[in-house]
Amino acid sequence: MANKKPDNPDRFPPLGRALLWVDGPGNVDKIVYALAGVCVVLFLADFTYKKHPYFTAEEIPGFYGIYGFVMFSALILVAKTLRFFIKRPENYYGDKAIDREEYPVDELDEVDYDA
Amino acid sequence: MLEQIPTAFLYFLAALALPVLPRGAIRGVVLLAIPAIAALQVWSLPLGNLVQLEFFGFSLDLMRVDKLSRVFALIFCIAAFLGNLYAWHVRDIVQQVAALMYAGAAIGAVFAGDLITLFFYWEGTAISSVFLIWARRTVGSFHTGMRYLIIQVGSGVILLAGVILMYVDTGSIAFERMELGSPATWLIFLSFGIKCAFPLLHNWLQDSYPAATVTGTVILSAFTTKLAVYALARGFAGTEILIYIGAIMTLFPIFFAEIENDLRRVLAYSLNNQLGFMVVGIGIGTEMSLNGTASHAFAHILYKALLFMSVGAVMFRTGTSKASELGGLYRTMPRTAMFCLVGAASISAFPLFSGFVTKSLVMSATAEENYPWIWAIMLFASAGVLSHSGIKIPYFTFFAHDSGKRPKEAPVHMQLAMGITAALCILIGIFPEPLYALLPYEVEYQPYTVGHVVTQLQLLCFALLAFCFLMRTGIHPAEIRAINLDTDWTYRRMLPRLIQWLSGPVGGIFKGIEILKTTWLKGMIITLYHSFGPQGRTSQFWPTGAMVLWIAVLLGITLMVSYAS
Repeated sequence: MANKKPDNPDRFPPLGRALLWVDGPGNVDKIVYALAGVCVVLFLADFTYKKHPYFTAEEIPGFYGIYGFVMFSALILVAKTLRFFIKRPENYYGDKAIDREEYPVDELDEVDYDA
Repeated sequence: MLEQIPTAFLYFLAALALPVLPRGAIRGVVLLAIPAIAALQVWSLPLGNLVQLEFFGFSLDLMRVDKLSRVFALIFCIAAFLGNLYAWHVRDIVQQVAALMYAGAAIGAVFAGDLITLFFYWEGTAISSVFLIWARRTVGSFHTGMRYLIIQVGSGVILLAGVILMYVDTGSIAFERMELGSPATWLIFLSFGIKCAFPLLHNWLQDSYPAATVTGTVILSAFTTKLAVYALARGFAGTEILIYIGAIMTLFPIFFAEIENDLRRVLAYSLNNQLGFMVVGIGIGTEMSLNGTASHAFAHILYKALLFMSVGAVMFRTGTSKASELGGLYRTMPRTAMFCLVGAASISAFPLFSGFVTKSLVMSATAEENYPWIWAIMLFASAGVLSHSGIKIPYFTFFAHDSGKRPKEAPVHMQLAMGITAALCILIGIFPEPLYALLPYEVEYQPYTVGHVVTQLQLLCFALLAFCFLMRTGIHPAEIRAINLDTDWTYRRMLPRLIQWLSGPVGGIFKGIEILKTTWLKGMIITLYHSFGPQGRTSQFWPTGAMVLWIAVLLGITLMVSYAS
């Protein structure tokens, strides 16, 4: 039910209008830079308190941050590789499989925002 | 009086009464009132074995109320309430009855003090829940439901076999802690493992949950697997193999979830991953880790339901839950987006959200018992959770590229259900003490230390930064319309193909034998007929007169020979 009509943001819910900010030019950049700033602060915060490590690795400054960044990236790369091997077309199990069928319309209530 | 009625029976009685009630609001009120009454009952029950029943010479314990069973029963009641509120608009009696029976059976199983009662309710959850899948009423859902039912009932049959062997071995049917060793305990372990979606036994979960109805999936997500977690915690606490099984469970689904397109299946993989944390907690078996398992199950049911609700609401309005078809919905469904973000933050275990105060119990217990590798795997899996449930679900549904879809905000009752669930997630995150007080053991744990908060935030924020980096560089895999193979391939593709492939040669051999048989037999009969039939060569020369003549000749010769000699 792609909307053919031009958008009328004035009729969006107020919260939705407020969130339109994220689509503003350069605003995503601001979010990313803010996140990077938070990460720097968190890294520095590691030096401000006394640690109670269970394992020696935890004593490395920023261990959790480095681990999170590296493992997250590794996860994405491995998953991407995995996709190469196990990806199949949607009708792989036939056209009657649930991945192919439309959800029964009478169970739904598909309404546009300005209906 | 309420004390004398097993909690499960409240649900069953209501399920029986439901079809006679008029459709609409009255049924809706009953569907909400029963879980609320049941929750109050569970809350006020004294601890102990409250209801016994004689059954073919066995004494069955229908209501074993202790701290472990109580916390699970309570969250099951809350989940039933929230699920039914979310399904307020549904007028399908099949789904309504199934939801009540299913919740009742799950609660009954949790309170079961013996293995026979457990078996009955175990099968009860299987049979009642499949109707939430079949209620979609399509060919695909029927077949998926069949596969689900075969596996679930299979788990029950294995449980029954284990119980019988157990009774033969020990003469007891009590459901207490077991040691793996005998065939009986292994069978029971396997049966629990199937329902708990152990690695390689897991795929019924990802196969069936996306096939259920919008509301059915929300209800399905709460009970079956957490019942199995409860059963493992009751029967196999401290069994070391569970630590490794659990660690693998946290690990492998995160890769599949990352590349899955159907968001409800992503959530099913994520559910599997969360179960892994609980199973590790059971395997470690200390008071702290079992507290972690119970509290994580409690928190998990809420945030997982919340995530399924938000994706379900999107599906309700757009007809699809595929990431490739969605995006940019925050404009017109902002509240659903916010609720989804609360669920995402909770499952990712951001401080001040419920996952943080429960998962850290398991993590700390693992570290305390000195399992560095398991701890590292779980830390990795925590980053993985952030990736698929924390980022992928909200980002590709509500943000990312604009799909052009401008659906209306979710209906009020769905918003209400999501709002209450989200509020609970945040409340548990900020005030964990009431939940800690419900746990089976005394909790001496402070989740909000500077160290815990900083390290957790570091893990999550740096992982988020990695996500931004990978998105900007285009390395992050795009959402595409496709499916991924998993172990269901073995019984959906390999076995049918194998049988098809074998049917050629085997059929050929049979056919060949058949042809050989007929031609050979035919030839033999013809030959025999040819020789011995009425027109046959042998019968041609055997007229009776000739016979008499030959006998006379023989006699004559005999006479002459005897005369001459």
